[in-house]
Amino acid sequence: MKNYKNKILIGIGLITLVAAAACRKSEKFPVDKVSGIYIFDPRDSAGTQALKYLLNVYSVVEIGHNRVGGDYLDAASDDAVSSSPGGQVTILATAGYTAIDLPANENVWSSTNSTNTANYWNGIRSATEFMAGIDVVPVKDFVAPNGKINGIGVSTRYIWRNEARLLRAYFYFELVKRFGGVPLLGDKVYNVNDNIALPRSSFADCISYIVSECDKAKDSLITAPLINPAQDNYRVTQGAAMALKAKVLLYAASPAFNNPSGGNSNPLTGYPSYSASRWQLAATAASQLMAIGNYSLDPNFKNIFLTQNDPEVIMVRTANGTNPSNNVESNNGPVGFGSAVAQGRTSPTQELVDSYPMSNGLPITDPNSGYDPNNPYNNRDGRFYATILYNGAPWLGTTLQTYEGGISKPNNGQTETLTSYYMCKFMGPQTTSNFQGHDEDWVIFRYAEIKLDFAEARNETDGPVDSVYQQLKDLRLRAGIAPGADNMYGLTVGMTKDQMRAVIQNERRIEMAFEEQRYFDIRRWGIASTVMNQPLMGMSITNSNGNLTYNLIQVLQPKFVAPKMNVYPIPYDEVLKNPAIGQAHQNPGWSF
Amino acid sequence: MEFLIKIFQFNQIKKAVMRKIILFFQIIIIMLPAALYAQTKTVTGTVRDGEGILPGATVVEKGLPANGVTTDGNGKFKITMKGTSEVLIVRFIGDVTREINVAGKNTVDVIMSTNSHGLDEVSVVGFGKTTRITNTGAVSSINAAEVREIPTANVQNTLAGRLPGFFSQQSSGQPGKDASDFFIRGISSLNPAGNQPLIIVDDIEYTYDQLQQINVNEIETISILKDASTTAIYGIKGANGVLVVTTRRGKAGTPKINFRAETGIQSNTITPVFLDAYQSALLVNQAEANDNLALPAGQAPRQLSFTQNDLNLFKSGTDPYGHPNVDWYNEIVNKYSYQTNANLDISGGNEQVKYFISGGALNQDGDVKNFPDPRGELNNNYYFTRYNFRSNLDMKANKTLDLRLDVTTRFSDLNQPLAEGAVGQLYDFTKETPFTAPFLNPNGSFAYAYSPFNSGHLPTLNARLASGGNDNSRRTDYNVLFNAVQKLDAFTPGLSATARVAYSSVEQYSAQITPSSSAIPSYHYDPVANTYTLNPSGAYVFPTYSQTGQTDFYTTDVNIQLFANYDRTFGSLNHVTGLFLLNQDSNTTYANNTIILDPTQVAVPAKFRGLSMRGGYDYAGKYLFDINAAYNGTDRFAANHRYGWFPAVSLGYALNKEDYFKNLFPAIGLFKIRGSYGIVGSDAAPGNRYVYNQYYTQGGGYNFGQSEADYNSYYENSLSNPNVVWERQKELDLGLDMNLLKDNKLSVTFDYFHNIRYDQLITPANVSEVLGVGLPAVNVGKTQNQGFDGQIGYHSNIGKVQFATNFVFSYAKNKILYEDEPQPASPNEALTGWPINQPIGYHFVGYYTAAEAQEINTYEAAHGGNNKGNSIAAPIGEIMEAGDLKYYDFNHDGVIDEYDKTHIGHPNLPNTTLGLNLQASYKGFSISVLFQGSFNYSFIVTGTGIEPFQSQFQPIDLQAWTPSNAANAQFPRLTQVPNTVNSPTFYPSDYWLVNAYYIRLKTLELRYVLPSKLLPFHLTAGSIYLSCYNLITWDNYDKYQQDPEISTNTVGDAYINQRVVNLGVQFGF
Repeated sequence: MKNYKNKILIGIGLITLVAAAACRKSEKFPVDKVSGIYIFDPRDSAGTQALKYLLNVYSVVEIGHNRVGGDYLDAASDDAVSSSPGGQVTILATAGYTAIDLPANENVWSSTNSTNTANYWNGIRSATEFMAGIDVVPVKDFVAPNGKINGIGVSTRYIWRNEARLLRAYFYFELVKRFGGVPLLGDKVYNVNDNIALPRSSFADCISYIVSECDKAKDSLITAPLINPAQDNYRVTQGAAMALKAKVLLYAASPAFNNPSGGNSNPLTGYPSYSASRWQLAATAASQLMAIGNYSLDPNFKNIFLTQNDPEVIMVRTANGTNPSNNVESNNGPVGFGSAVAQGRTSPTQELVDSYPMSNGLPITDPNSGYDPNNPYNNRDGRFYATILYNGAPWLGTTLQTYEGGISKPNNGQTETLTSYYMCKFMGPQTTSNFQGHDEDWVIFRYAEIKLDFAEARNETDGPVDSVYQQLKDLRLRAGIAPGADNMYGLTVGMTKDQMRAVIQNERRIEMAFEEQRYFDIRRWGIASTVMNQPLMGMSITNSNGNLTYNLIQVLQPKFVAPKMNVYPIPYDEVLKNPAIGQAHQNPGWSF
Repeated sequence: MEFLIKIFQFNQIKKAVMRKIILFFQIIIIMLPAALYAQTKTVTGTVRDGEGILPGATVVEKGLPANGVTTDGNGKFKITMKGTSEVLIVRFIGDVTREINVAGKNTVDVIMSTNSHGLDEVSVVGFGKTTRITNTGAVSSINAAEVREIPTANVQNTLAGRLPGFFSQQSSGQPGKDASDFFIRGISSLNPAGNQPLIIVDDIEYTYDQLQQINVNEIETISILKDASTTAIYGIKGANGVLVVTTRRGKAGTPKINFRAETGIQSNTITPVFLDAYQSALLVNQAEANDNLALPAGQAPRQLSFTQNDLNLFKSGTDPYGHPNVDWYNEIVNKYSYQTNANLDISGGNEQVKYFISGGALNQDGDVKNFPDPRGELNNNYYFTRYNFRSNLDMKANKTLDLRLDVTTRFSDLNQPLAEGAVGQLYDFTKETPFTAPFLNPNGSFAYAYSPFNSGHLPTLNARLASGGNDNSRRTDYNVLFNAVQKLDAFTPGLSATARVAYSSVEQYSAQITPSSSAIPSYHYDPVANTYTLNPSGAYVFPTYSQTGQTDFYTTDVNIQLFANYDRTFGSLNHVTGLFLLNQDSNTTYANNTIILDPTQVAVPAKFRGLSMRGGYDYAGKYLFDINAAYNGTDRFAANHRYGWFPAVSLGYALNKEDYFKNLFPAIGLFKIRGSYGIVGSDAAPGNRYVYNQYYTQGGGYNFGQSEADYNSYYENSLSNPNVVWERQKELDLGLDMNLLKDNKLSVTFDYFHNIRYDQLITPANVSEVLGVGLPAVNVGKTQNQGFDGQIGYHSNIGKVQFATNFVFSYAKNKILYEDEPQPASPNEALTGWPINQPIGYHFVGYYTAAEAQEINTYEAAHGGNNKGNSIAAPIGEIMEAGDLKYYDFNHDGVIDEYDKTHIGHPNLPNTTLGLNLQASYKGFSISVLFQGSFNYSFIVTGTGIEPFQSQFQPIDLQAWTPSNAANAQFPRLTQVPNTVNSPTFYPSDYWLVNAYYIRLKTLELRYVLPSKLLPFHLTAGSIYLSCYNLITWDNYDKYQQDPEISTNTVGDAYINQRVVNLGVQFGF
C-alpha cells in the first residue's frame, strides 16, 4: 500500500520534471546570427558594424584581372584571344550568346538569388540599404570636405553615405553600359512584398540619374591626394565621382547611343535624337576633373598598376586575398618556366601589336617609321614593351622564346600562347628567375583615361584643337616616344576631325589595353561590326638556326552582329519574371 | 483509501479463486477425450525455423483443437495423440501453419518457413501495434527475418519490391555509400528537402544515415506508415510517411545463441565496354573529317589526327609504347571483390529479465584493383567496415513496473582514394583514352598522358591512384534508450504510463593522407630513341605524405517521451484504446563540413515538441474507429506560428463479422473496408533554417587602407518570411483487406490514396532580379499525389512442398497544382500541371539530311546567320551538317530555340514499382526469389557518360551517322565541337532521354536447414544458404552503359551498383 503511494509520487514527480523541462522557452534565435539591428546600431558610436556593411558594398566592385571565365574581358575584343578557347570570352567574341546563356561573369544582372554573389543589383540594394540605415548610427567622427579626419566638418557617416551613393551610381553605369536603360530603384529598399516588377527607365533617364548622383556625391567625399592614405586609400573620392561622370557622359555621347544619323529608334538603348551638345557635356566633365589638379600622369607607366597611392590613379578596387602577390603572372605569364609556373591564359593579337607606333611615334604603316618586318619588335612605343611579351622579350632573367617549339610555345598540348605573344601589363618587371610580388589592385579610373575622354569629346565638338593634341602628346611623352624635331611626338600636324578621331581611338586602345575599355569602346564607337567580323591574327615564328621567319596565322574568327550586339539582351529569366519588362521591352534584335 | 484497497484485495482473491475453477474445468475438458479414446502414442519433436528454435509455437492435433501444447524454451514439445488423424498442426505467430504427418513416427523435426502475411501479422505503428484484423490505416510491414540474409549493408536496400508504397533508387555501389534513397508513396513536395520520410527506430527518430548503419540482424519488424491516420501522431513530421523499425528483444527461455557467417562476391551489375585504340582512332578521324566539312568556306581543312600508319600500328599492337592500346576500365576495375559479414546474437532470459545481445561485423571491399602507394604503406582502395553491437534488456522491476534498457553502438570505417573522382575519370576522354599512354613503361615507371587529346601531362590513372593518398572517415553512432512502463491497472484496468529517455549521438571524423605535393614521377617513353622523358610538371621522387583530419560532424540528440496508454475491453465486445503522448526532442549538430549538413544547424539545438493523442474504439472487431491528433511544432518557425494541429480520423468495417456476409461468403476469412482522412505536416524548409528571421553574414573581407588589413564585411542574407509555417498535406486513403479461401490462403490488400500537399515551402521563382537579394521560402506551392498500392499473397502446398507468393504493387503519380513559376517562353514548358521534376527538352524527329543541311546553311548565309522563316528549322547561327539531330519546331518559325522545348519523358523517380516474391520449401530446403521492377521513369546521361570527346568512345559510337550509315544511324554524327545540337548538355531532348524500365532478380535465396540428426555438438539449429542481390537485370535501353537506377542529368556513376553472390552458414545452440 505504501508501495503504491511511493510509485504514484515518483510518477507524479517524473511527470512534473519532464513537464518543467518541456516548459522552458527554447532559444528563439541563434545567438551567433546577426540581425539588421546589429548592423545599423543606434549605440555604435564608432560605426564598426555599419562600416563592415559599407565594405560589403565596396566588395561588389569587380576586379578585372582574369574576371571573365578566367580571362580578361579584352580577350573578347580584337586585342586578344584566350589561350584556352571555348570559355566565356570566346563565346562573347564569337557572338555565341543569347538571352538565355549570357556568359555568367558578364551576366551582371541575374543570379542575385544565390546569396552574396557580387552582382550589381545586389550592390545597388546594399548601397541603398546602407544609405537608408546609416542615419541611425551615431558615428562621432567628423571629416572636413578637404579630407581632414577628426576635424570640424562633415560627419563621417555623411561621407560614408555618399560613398555608397557613388558606388551605387557606378553599379548603375556598369549595368547601363551593358544593357541600356534599366529600372531605376531610387532610394527605396524594396522588400519581398513590394511590387518589384519595375519597368526599364529610358537610356536618357538612366544617364541623367547617374550624372546627378555623381554630382550629389562629389562634394561630400574625401579628396585626393589623401591626407591619411594609410587608412583611406581605397575609398572613393571626389575625383572618382567626377571621373565616373565624365565617362558616363562620354558613353552617352558616343555614336552607339547618340546616333549622328538620326538618333536611336529605341529609347531604351539610346537617345531618340542626336545632339552634339552631349559631346560638350562630356568634354566639360572631363576638363573639370583635370582642372582640380589633384592627379597627374605617373612618369613610370608600369608603376600605375603595381604600387599604391599612385598619383595617376583615381579609383581602384583592391585585390582580394593577400597582397603583394603574383596572380596576374601565374595566370597570364609565359609557360615553360619550371620555377615560375604560369598558365599563359591571354594571347594578345597581332592587331593589337600592330597598333603600337614606333618609338618615334609613327605608325608602323608609315614608310618613314623605320619598321622592319623581319625585326618587328625593335624600337616600338614604350607601352608596347609594358603591355606585351614577344619573342625575344626579357623575362625572368632570360629571353623569351615564343617561336614554334620554343620554351614558351612548346606545342605539347598544354595551354600556351596562340599568337606568340603573352600579356605583361599589370605584371612586375620580373627580372629574377622567380616571380617577385607586387600589389595587384585593379585600376578603375586613372588620369590618362580622363585625358583621353577629354580629347575624344573635345575633338567631336571643336575638332583637333591644340588642347586635343596636347593630351595625346602628354601620354606619348610619358610612353617614351621621342618628341621629334617638330615636337609633335609623331602626330601629324593639321589632322581632320575624322583623322584625329582615328588617332584618339588608337591611342585609347594602346594606352588602356586590358583595362576593360576596348570591349565597350568598339561597341560605343560602332566599329565592332568591322573589327569583330574579320579574322583575328597571331604570329607564327619559325626558328631555323637562329633565323626567324614571321608568318601571320589566323587564331580566331570572331563575330559581331550590329547594332543588336551593342548591348546585351536582358537575361531571359528576367524577361519572364518581370512582366513590366517582358519580351516587349527586350533590347532590339534579341528574342533570346 | 483503505476501503478501496480492501475492495481491491477482495477482488484479487475472488479472481484467483475463479481462475482456479476455470483451470479445473479446462483440464477436465482436455482430459475428457483422452479418457474416452485412451490412445497412448506420444510424439516429441522440435519446432524451428531457419534461424533457430521456436519457443512458444503451438502444436495441436488435427481434428482435436483442444489437444494442444506449446513448445518450451528449447522449442521442444511432447504431445499425446488422442485422435485418429495422425496429423499435427504446428503454428507460430507470423508463420505459416504446417501440418505434419506423424503416422509411424514418434519424433518429428518441424521446420517452419517464415511468412509474415498471416492473419495475426502484427504491424508496428507509432507508439503501438496493430494487426491486420483491427487496423484502419494504411500500413505495410514485413518481418525482418525475411530480409536478414540479403547481402547488402543497408536495410533500405532490402525493401525494394517488398513493401507496397515503398519507392527506392540506389544510385551508387560504393561501399559505405550505397544506401538507396527511398520515398513512401512517391514524392509530393516541390521542396527538395521536403520528401524524406520520417524514420523511427524503437519509437525514436533516426536520420537517413543513422538508419543505414543499422545491422539488419538486429531488426525485428519493418513497417511503413502511409496515410494520415497512422502518421498524424507524428504531426508536423508525418507528411512524407514514416518508416518504423523495431529491434529484436529477448524471449523467456534458455539462452539461444545464434551465429551467422557469410561471405560474398561482388561485381558490377554492368561492365561498360569502351572501344579499343584502333576503333577510337578511326572514330576520331571520322569526327574530324565531319568537322572539316563544317568549316567556313575558304578555311583549310584540318589534318586528321591519325595517319594510316598510326591506325595500322593501333590495330596490330606491335608498338605498345608508341601506339598504346589500354583498356583502362578493366585495367583499373576488378571484376570481383569480396564482402564478409558475421553476426552473433544471444537471447533468452526469464520472466524477470530478458535479453537480446548481438554483435556483428561487416566488411566490403572496393572494386578498384589494388594500387598501393609506392612504399606499400597505404590502402588507397575503397572499402567499408562496420561493427555493430546491441544489448536490449527487459526487466520486470515488480508486478507492475517494466523497465527496458537498450544500448547500441555502431562503428564504421569508410575508405576511398583521395582522388575520389579518379574512378569517374574512367569514362573521361580528356583524361583516359586507349592511346593516352601505356599502363606502365617498359622499365616499370609510370607513364603520363601523351596524346593530343589529353593535355596537361596527367599521369595515368593507376599512377594517381597509387600515389594520390586516401580519405578515411570513421564514424561512431551511439544510442541509449531507457524506458519505464508503469501499469496503472490500479487506477483503471488497461491503463499504463511510460517514460522514456533516448539519447543518440553520431560522431564522424575523417583523415586525409595526401601527397605533400601532387607531382608524381612519370615518364614518357620513346620506343624509337629508347629514352625516358620526365613529365614537365612531374618530380623525380615520389612525394612525401602529409596528414590532415577533422571532425566532420558531431550530433547529439535527446528525446524525452512520456505517454499514457489505455487498452481495455468492456464487456467482451467494446474495445477501447487510447494514447496520450508528450514528446520533446533537442538535436545539436556540430558540422565542420558544409556538404554533409546544413551549416546553419550548428550550435543552436533544433527543437521539436508536441502532444499527440490517439483514441480507438471497436465493437466486436466489426466496427472500427480511430481518431489521431498531434499538436506539435518546431523552432523553425516564428513563435506565433510554431504549433499546429494535425488531426486524422479513420473508420473500418469488417463485413466478414456480419452474419449475412458469413452466410453468403463462408470462404472469406476477412473482408474489411477502411478509410482515413487527415492533415499532416512537414517542417523542412529549403535554405536557411530560420526562414522567419533575417540575418546578416560576416563575409569575404575587403582590403581597406594601405596596410591592406583584411577587414570583414557583412552582407545581407536572403530576405525573411516571418509568416513561414509548415507544409500541410491532406491525405485520403481508402483500403480493402481480404483473406480468401480456406485457411486464408489468399490475402489481398489494396489501398487507394489521394493527397494534396499545400502551403509548400518554395523559393519564389517569379520575382525580378532587380530586387538584388535572395528570397525566402514562402508557403505557396501546391501539388497532388495520388495512386494505389497493395499486395496479393497466396500460400499453399502441393504435397509436401509448401509455397507462397506475394505480389506487391505501388503506383504514385504526382502533379504540380501551383508553382510560383514565371510565364515560360512556351506553354510546353509550364511546370504547373506536370509531375514534380518533369524533364523538359526538345523533341527529336530524325537526322538532318545533306540536302536539308545545305538548305539551312544557304538560307542562313542569305539572312545574316538567322534561320527565321526557313521551312527547315535549325538553331540560329549554327552551321548544320548532315547527321545532326533534328528537333521539332513547335512554333514553326524556322528557329529551334527555347520556344520549341516541351515536356519529355518522366521524372527520374519511377512512379510504378512491382515486386514478386516466390517462396517454396520442401523439408529443409527452401528457395525464395524476389523480382523487382520499376517502370515509368526517365533519365539522360550527359558529359563524360556519353558525349563523344568527353566520354571515351563506346560501342554506340560505331553506329553514328555517316553518309553510308544514314539509314541505320543510332547516334548523331561525331563531332569535336562540344555544344552542337548533338549535345545532351546543351540540347536535352527525347533522343537522349530514355523512358526506362527495369526488372531485377533482386534477391535469390536458397537455404537448407540441417536436420537435427546432422547437427554436431549441441547445436540446436543449423543451415547453409546462398543469397544473391541484384543477380540479373533486364532493362530496355542500350544507349547507355549504366545501371538503371542512375540519377538523371549526370554522367553516371563509375562506382556501379553491385551484384552480390553470397554464401552463408548459420548455427544456433
